[in-house]
Amino acid sequence: MNRRNPSRRFRRLHGFHLPVSFLLVLLLTCVSAPAQQEALKLPSYKKTQLPNGITALLMEKHAVPLVSFQITLRTGTTADPPGKEGLAGITNDLLRKGTPTRTADQISADLDFIGAALSTTESPDSLRVYAEFMKKDVATGLDLLADILRNPTFPQEEADKLIKRRIDGMRSAKDQAQAVIGNYFDAFLYGGHPYGRPAEGDERSLAAITRDDIAKFYRQQYVPGNMIVAVVGDLGAADMEKLLADRLGSMLRASAPAIQVPEPKPATGRRLLLVDKPDSTQTFFRIGNVGVSRTHPDRVAIRVVNTLFGGRFTSMINSALRIRSGLTYGANSSFAQYRQAGPFAIASYTRNASTEKALDMALAVLKELHEKGVSEEQLASAKNYIKGQFPTRIETNDQLAGLLAELELYGLDRGEVDELYARVDAVTAADARRVIKQHFPLQNLVFTLIAKASEIAPLAKKYATDIQTKSITAPGF
Amino acid sequence: MPFQKRRRLAAPALILLLAAFCAAQTIPVETHTLKNGMKVIIHEDHSIPNVAFYIFYRIGSRNERPGTTGISHFFEHMMFNGAKKYGPGEFDRAMEDAGGNNNAYTGKDATVYQDWFPATTLKLIFDLEADRIASLDFDPKMVQSERGVVASERRTSVEANNYGALSEQLWAAAFTAHPYHWPVIGWMSDIESWSIEDLKAYFRMGYAPNNAVMVVSGAVEPKSFLALAEQYIGVLPPRDPPPPVRTKEPEQSGERRLRLEKFAQLPILMCAWHVPETAHPDYYPLRVLQTILLSGQSSRIHQRLVEKDQLAISVGGGMGFSLDPTLFTITAQPRAGIAPEAVEKALYEELARVRDELVTDREVEKAKNILLAGFYRQMKSIDGKANTLGSYELYFGDHRKLFTAAEQYAKVTREDLRRVAQRYFEEKNRTVATLLPEKPKGAAQ
Repeated sequence: MNRRNPSRRFRRLHGFHLPVSFLLVLLLTCVSAPAQQEALKLPSYKKTQLPNGITALLMEKHAVPLVSFQITLRTGTTADPPGKEGLAGITNDLLRKGTPTRTADQISADLDFIGAALSTTESPDSLRVYAEFMKKDVATGLDLLADILRNPTFPQEEADKLIKRRIDGMRSAKDQAQAVIGNYFDAFLYGGHPYGRPAEGDERSLAAITRDDIAKFYRQQYVPGNMIVAVVGDLGAADMEKLLADRLGSMLRASAPAIQVPEPKPATGRRLLLVDKPDSTQTFFRIGNVGVSRTHPDRVAIRVVNTLFGGRFTSMINSALRIRSGLTYGANSSFAQYRQAGPFAIASYTRNASTEKALDMALAVLKELHEKGVSEEQLASAKNYIKGQFPTRIETNDQLAGLLAELELYGLDRGEVDELYARVDAVTAADARRVIKQHFPLQNLVFTLIAKASEIAPLAKKYATDIQTKSITAPGF
Repeated sequence: MPFQKRRRLAAPALILLLAAFCAAQTIPVETHTLKNGMKVIIHEDHSIPNVAFYIFYRIGSRNERPGTTGISHFFEHMMFNGAKKYGPGEFDRAMEDAGGNNNAYTGKDATVYQDWFPATTLKLIFDLEADRIASLDFDPKMVQSERGVVASERRTSVEANNYGALSEQLWAAAFTAHPYHWPVIGWMSDIESWSIEDLKAYFRMGYAPNNAVMVVSGAVEPKSFLALAEQYIGVLPPRDPPPPVRTKEPEQSGERRLRLEKFAQLPILMCAWHVPETAHPDYYPLRVLQTILLSGQSSRIHQRLVEKDQLAISVGGGMGFSLDPTLFTITAQPRAGIAPEAVEKALYEELARVRDELVTDREVEKAKNILLAGFYRQMKSIDGKANTLGSYELYFGDHRKLFTAAEQYAKVTREDLRRVAQRYFEEKNRTVATLLPEKPKGAAQ
């Protein structure tokens, strides 16, 4: 049993993907050293481009004999054709399921034999393949990694198997409200906008995916021009570069058209989605609206304010709903950030009988943020917290590889790290007031509740006039 | 989540035949025992300007009694709710104001407190920790409010989580006498009923400084760290440690089966076998066997249930660290339309294979590589190092066992694996729990 809500951390649940928003939320809620401390610098790394267009980011780090490879493709779930949501993720997961020289079983056996870690993730803006090898096995590991990236055959049988597993995985996830509330919230908030479509797909869209769709998606998207490869670990940079050139340099030069995602429009007024889970003894809820993009100029000020509002244990939201009232085990707020504006959401849960009290309290805390703002003392505390915790976010090979690839993907530079302390320190009370007004919506709010509808439905009209109801066992979100 | 964190903790160390790797299998550690008997383990690492600071108390739900089940975990929450110098809410506020963060977890055997902070705030951390260890306060209002928090935690991790709900029933059925019978979070009726007197008695029983181990990893200088540890913590008087847990679980002599009917779209199957405690010599062969059976997509049980027979969406399991004999569990979620019995049958056939035949040399070597890589992954961060060192100290009786694990695994033979499979994966030593979907009345369609 943990004291803190473990759901605030990204994890994979029984082989099923949590909503992608969790991933990016991390970047915000967890990123965070005291004023007197010297600013941290991102360790030096080399950026280079292979002749075929692959962007390589190389950082030596010799603390443990492991090497991390973060392959990030400049494409994502927003490239899924409508009605075939989940295609990007399926394609990414199928890479390891067969090449002309290795069967799926051989690939798994070879990866496991060298103690490799291999995982895939998908987000609206990127598809990622992460691999980690012991130093002694880097050459063998990279052979495998290059083979699955370059030569996947997508056997029909493996495609069928994975699609069926993912559909069942979706049903299983719906047995646990916390695993899917983000999908319902995003779909209800964004509607037909690409960010409203489920990154993992749903029971129907997954069933519509064919092997041809997968092979075509692969041909279009897994091309050198789309590929960022970050390597961090116990290997000389020259060796890293040589290995990459050797294993990936002969891929034929090609690029894919950039994905165009329209700017999402924030919701106006108030609307509410109630998802009926008839056995629920608690109401799980999210309240929010369209937030900001990864590159928004206010991102640092927002991080400072959100730290105070809902981004740490003593935040206003958690203090009210958990510490002072005991209504819940956890309450937080977050801004997921994509190329365009991702969702801002307040999230918590409480027993059925205290649902109204908890919802009212969350709204009252939001109102208090607008009315009282934040004090100089609070600002100083948030700044210390962000700076104090930040070094632990850039500590390990995998964290650094992920960060390098992310900066490249979004066109950001090392200033995100090197200037972070200065940027955090520069946030003033006036900035905080402006950010609260602009980015923490008070009147225009979208509510999503997963609850026992027979008990909770009468409450809904208190919060919105536009109300929709769904059953959690119905396909889709 | 109950148990989940424990399992992650349990990823152990390994090594190889190759002497070349042995050098990398240790990290520099200094140890010291404070005047009051608290052991201190220090690993100095300045790669980031931060510190991971852990205190492991040897007290958990195994030290509880019926009527106050869950009090260890509840007590862990109360450790953040006010002491003499830092009142309710001030522990967290002071730590976060200074750039620090914290958490804690409670298991069946131990309660662990974790602080992560910039090295410059070390003195404040000692002041905060010393205050709550020396003079915790029990404000009735805070007790009442925290009761609500823990009840919500239980609703989330058990009632709203089918895995949590089934796992609780599985342990309750497999253990009839020993305290591993009840869940770490406690039964709801106990959460609703324990008193301030219960909490005070519990504090006196479990929180003697000589019943704890302090582990620090990060940007500290051992000499000055120890001086602060003596100044703030070493001055607290030692007391009697908790009374030994006397009850031993009688040997199981027949399969036990249970069913849980719950709102669900898919069933869940959990099987468990009694296995010895972590300090037992069979831990090492069991751990290698667990790796062969369950680690990675090439593992035997994943291959059979998920890839070949396509009976299950996912399968996982193994054993966590424990002070007393524990369970080796395997959890599988059947595919839609597949009966849990079909999954069970295939699972038993795989277990029969490791009882009847020797595994291959290549599988043993694979397991050792997976375990070695797992060791390095634990050593990636100051937090991973602190947690692993402390866990080895508690469960193996000596943190240095982390550095000799390699030799122990190297000694494991294929015959050892067959022997432990025969000894433990027996039908009469098995408990089987199945969650079956129940059609709800009045569901909205």
